[in-house]
Order: sequence, then structure tokens, then C-alpha cells
Amino acid sequence: MATLRRLREVPRHLLVCEKSNFGHDKSRHRHLVETHYHNYRVSFLIPECGILSKELKNLVMETGPYYFVKNLPLHELITQEFINTFVKKGSCYALTHNTNIDEDNTVALLPNGKLILSLDKDTYEETGLQGRPSQYSGRKVMKFIVSIDLMDLSFNPNSKKCERVSWSFKEKKPLKFDFLLAWHHTGAEESTMMSYFSNYRIQELQPKIALSTVTELQCPVLRSGALRGEPEAACSAPELLDWLGAVFSRADLTNEPHSFVSTYCCPQPSTVVARAYLCTITGFILPEKICLLLEQLCHYFDEPKLAPWVTLSVQGFADSPVSWRENEHGFRKGGEHLYNFVIFNNQDYWLQMAVGANDDCPP
Amino acid sequence: MAVFADLDLRAGSDLKALRGLVENAAHLGYSVVAINHVVEFKEKKQEIEKPVAVSELFTTLPMVQGKSRPIKVLTRLTIIVSDPSHCNVLVACTHLDVDLVCITVTEKLPFYFKRPPINVAVDRGVCFELVYSPAIKDSTMRRYTISNALNLMQVCKGKNVIISSAAERPLEIRGPYDVANLGLLFGLSESDAKAAVSTNCRAALLHGETRKTAFGIISTVKKPRPSEADEDSLPACKKAKCEG
Repeated sequence: MATLRRLREVPRHLLVCEKSNFGHDKSRHRHLVETHYHNYRVSFLIPECGILSKELKNLVMETGPYYFVKNLPLHELITQEFINTFVKKGSCYALTHNTNIDEDNTVALLPNGKLILSLDKDTYEETGLQGRPSQYSGRKVMKFIVSIDLMDLSFNPNSKKCERVSWSFKEKKPLKFDFLLAWHHTGAEESTMMSYFSNYRIQELQPKIALSTVTELQCPVLRSGALRGEPEAACSAPELLDWLGAVFSRADLTNEPHSFVSTYCCPQPSTVVARAYLCTITGFILPEKICLLLEQLCHYFDEPKLAPWVTLSVQGFADSPVSWRENEHGFRKGGEHLYNFVIFNNQDYWLQMAVGANDDCPP
Repeated sequence: MAVFADLDLRAGSDLKALRGLVENAAHLGYSVVAINHVVEFKEKKQEIEKPVAVSELFTTLPMVQGKSRPIKVLTRLTIIVSDPSHCNVLVACTHLDVDLVCITVTEKLPFYFKRPPINVAVDRGVCFELVYSPAIKDSTMRRYTISNALNLMQVCKGKNVIISSAAERPLEIRGPYDVANLGLLFGLSESDAKAAVSTNCRAALLHGETRKTAFGIISTVKKPRPSEADEDSLPACKKAKCEG
């Protein structure tokens, strides 16, 4: 029966695994990190490590402030002043806070100057802007995506398009949202976000950092050349991702008979490491900072170390309208879009990208 | 997608329980709830009790979890007609001016759904409602709920179906994603099940609003009374017209 068949199906999800080397010319690692714009949580795990090196610790502590503005009207983001001060000089990121992508209107600003609005049917019809229906609509189209290029608006400030957008945001349907903002400036910056938005309630926030050490941890054995694993010799990439999730959720890895919560077992073959260092940074984190962290973790193996590999995982905001570049992101039962690097001591790496149901395949 | 809505919270006599119910719904993530008053249809003229005023219930409405907006509380009236000679499902679907037709779950349906009246109802915008809190309380009801729901799905193919709780106590209400999963058990597809808690509820509410309008396009709003100063200016205008 169709119902029984549907009940047995697992929700659609995609996991793309690839391997390469950091020294390789065509390595895409930088591009993929930089185009995953809205990052909520960054975590790394270093086996056989008791304390963090000074450089890593400094990098972790300086994952930069981000800003929270309450009730910011949307027309503030399309003013010439804002575009010239923040969008053109560096990379400016913005995302609405406390809005669910599958229920409400969501707005995101990408560093290439595109303002993406994901609007529900009523709001879309009231703003009067041109957009396209969402790819993930059901029977009736209830979600529309409007994309406004701010760079284009600033080059032609008197064009009809610019006037229509201003009219829509100021008079036709003034929308206000709580925004999370972050800005990576290139060169000497004079103004800051705090002073620019001083008319609104703006707060500067620091990401939350959680550091811990785990003792006697079972780690899977990996071989950098074998992405699919080798029977009896190395574990596969999907097994590693499952194990990493279990470690960060503090689940038991031994499948003890009295454990009610988890029956997960560490994939075999595995070794036991004496200590492992876990670090989690939560906030609105810039891709530029993640690039620096990735480079520093590569340099971890400049001196000989006991650890065979280290991992760096990045999770995106479940309510962001885009995942990588401008690929549309939706939320069906879960809105995950995340990637994970496994960095080996010979500068090889594995990259795993995972998305949920209402998402395009990662690039 | 539309916001999540639960269109059936049973109004008991206890205001405090109702308040707890609405707060629990806001905490679970519902942005719109409707308090349901149920009356039996009687032959003679009957007094329908006044609905609970929302301002009586809450001075400030509770915030929906994860959003910056308060929950929206509406009221709704349900009429139970037990005499089949008065009206049966066929008539309700095709002629009566209603927004929702509730499918009973307390017993096995004595009749089968026929495709023509269901299609007429779908075209008119009438939605079919399934409730799930009896299924939480009792296992026999669970069987009836699922079998009645599957019967309905075979005919209507998942269109215009909404799922609501009929909860009387805070513990009987479930979160919107859980209810969407429950919809899978009732025979809906994944996207239809999520629509049953969001999009179709919005459609039913809009259908109710359009009953006061002409074809859903024109509506009348009561104009505020003009003040004394304005009345003086009117004769002046009239004068101007005559002279011109």
C-alpha cells in the first residue's frame, strides 16, 4: 500500500564526500568555505591533544563580534550610504533572526551584494516586486524568492528598478526584521556597525565558545586515500561523520546493554586515544574567519604529532534562505546544511557536505 | 509556506485550563489557534453561548516560541447535526455555507465517501478536518481515526485536509512537525501533511473571512463617525457645486 511504503521511506538527504590535497592547484576548499555564507556553529576535534596551541586559541577567541539589531526597517539596507560604507568595502553578511524559513518572511544579505528575500504569498503580493516561486512548493505555491542586486542599484541610482524597490520598501509594504549582521572589512575602516545603526537597538555580541577535553575516546582508523573505507583496515567517510556527531552530542560509543538513549557503536577498526580536544564556537560566524581556522589546523601538522587527523565541522543556519552560493535552502522536517573537513597529516583532506530534504545538491 | 495553525482547541468552562492550553500551543510553535465552541443542533430556536473574549483570557498574548510575534487567537463555532434527515455529509459538502467538515473519529463511519460531493466541496473551498487527540487518549479511537482518515484519503487524494487537535488539556496538544508526521499515518504525502497544518488551515480561515465579502474581493468597513467640525464644512461644499 502506498501509505506503508511512504512510512518506510527515510527523509531525503544528500551527503557528498570528496577527497583532495591542500597543495593541489584545483582544490576547491577555499571556494566552498567562502561561499557558505551563514554559519551557525563551527566545531573542531583534535585527537591526542590536551591543550590548544597559542595561535589556535587566539584564533578561536577572535572569531570576531557580530551584531544584533532589533526592528531594522528593510529600506535601511538599500540606502546608498549603507551600500557604500559596508557592502562595497569588504564583505557584509546579514540574516533575519527568529524567523522560520518555512513559515515566515526571511531576508539575507550576501557578500556579493545580493539581497535575498524569501517571502510568503501575502507579503510577496503586497510588496509588488518581481520574484520567482520557490522550488520547494507543494500543491500551491506559498513561497516566493525575490533577489535584489544592491551593486546594480548603486550604479544606477535613478533607474526605474531602484525607484520601485525604494517605493516598495518605504511606502508600499515597509517590512521590519530583527537582523544578525557581520562585516569583514578590507583595509582601514572608519565607521563601524555600532555607530551606523546607533538609531536602532544594536548590540555587539561575541560568539559562545565551549572548550572541553575527552579522555579515553574511541576513534575510527582512517586512511586518506580510501574514502569508502577498506574492510578490516579503515572506516568510510559516512561512518566518520556519524561518529563525529555522536562524539559532539556526548553519546555513548560502546552500545552498552543498559544504555537506553543510544545504541550507536564506534565503527571498526578503531583505536583508543588517551585524550581529545573538542571546541565549539556558536554565533554568526564569518567564512573568512573559518578560512583562517582551516589554515591554522593545516599547520597543526607542521610539527610531528601523534594525531593522524583532525576534523573541522561547520553547520549553517537552519533558517537561512541560501545554502552554498545562491542555492535555495528550505526546511521540510529539518533544515541542515553543513560541511566537514578531515585534515590528514600529509595535507590530504576529505570534505563532506550534507544537506537535507528541501535543498539543491551541494556544489 | 504559511504559519502553523491549530484550529480546534476545545473551550471548556475552565478559563484557566484554556489559558494553559493556548500558552502551550504558543510554546510548541503554533502561530494561530482557534478556540472551538461546540453546540448540538436542536429543532427549536436555541441560544448559542457567547464566545470567550480573547481580551478576557489574556492581557498580553503569549509569544510564539522562536519568533518575535504573539500568538493569534481566533474563535470558532461547530454545530453537530445528528439527524440525517436534516443534513448529511452530501448536503453539507455541496450546499451548506460552512468552512470545515469534521470527520468523526469516535465510531466507524456508517457511510462511505463518494467522489462527486467531495470534489464539489474541494472546488468550493470547504476543508475536511481530522482530529487527533482522541487517538492519543484511547486505542480503539486510534483505530477508528486511522481507518476513517484512510477512507477519506482514498477519495479526496489529500486535498483540502486539515489536522487539528481537539485538545481540552495542555497535554493533548502536539507540536506542528509531529502532527505533520502523524499525517503520514493518515495516508497523506509528506508535503500534503505539512500543508495540512499550515497552508490548508490558512485557506480555511480565508474562506471564513470571504463569507462576509462579495466574492472575496470587496469588503465593507465601518466608517468612523465624522466629528462636529467636519459637518460644518459640508454645506460649504454643497454651495460651491450649485454655483459652479
